Amino acid sequence: MRDYSKRIYLSIFWIIVGAALFAAGSFGKIDSFWSGMGGALIGVGIVQTIRWAHYRNDPEYKEKFDTQTHDERNRFIANKAWAWAGYLSVLTGAAAAIAFKVASKDDISYFCSIAVCLLMILYWICWLVLKRKY
Amino acid sequence: MKNRIEEIRKARGVNQEELAKALGVSRQTISSLENGRYNPSIELAYKLSKYFGMTIEEVFIFEEAEK
Repeated sequence: MRDYSKRIYLSIFWIIVGAALFAAGSFGKIDSFWSGMGGALIGVGIVQTIRWAHYRNDPEYKEKFDTQTHDERNRFIANKAWAWAGYLSVLTGAAAAIAFKVASKDDISYFCSIAVCLLMILYWICWLVLKRKY
Repeated sequence: MKNRIEEIRKARGVNQEELAKALGVSRQTISSLENGRYNPSIELAYKLSKYFGMTIEEVFIFEEAEK
């Protein structure tokens, strides 16, 4: 991966954005939700910066990382995991919608039903796009 | 799909790590291929066969799936 310098800059950018959000939240300028997100961005940015710096400075790690990233079995597993996660999300959402309806929690049941419908619509859009591509 | 990767690899005195490095895949991928848990892409099957100096048919054993 040749663009690791860009990735380091991007990681630093996330740290700066995170710090700005965190500071604004700490001074009461914005909601605590955003300061929490800022903290998370700082954490992710620091981890990514260390990771890409390691990638740049350690040829052995670079080779291992590239192999793992481009390995076709790993890609196959990742695609399969996403497919399973999507399928299980729909099943879980549908089961939750029924369970909440039975428990007379109509609002949550309605929310779960809408979420399942949106996932199904998203699935069909993806299916149609991929069908055209392949 | 069954294959003869392990047999051919051992006959050539190559270990999984070396084969993986030559093909640009992980050692786990070689292990999964040998155990028949993972079927390779055509590209990887071609690379493997080329590495051993054999044809794909000599490395992979195609069996019609039972209906």
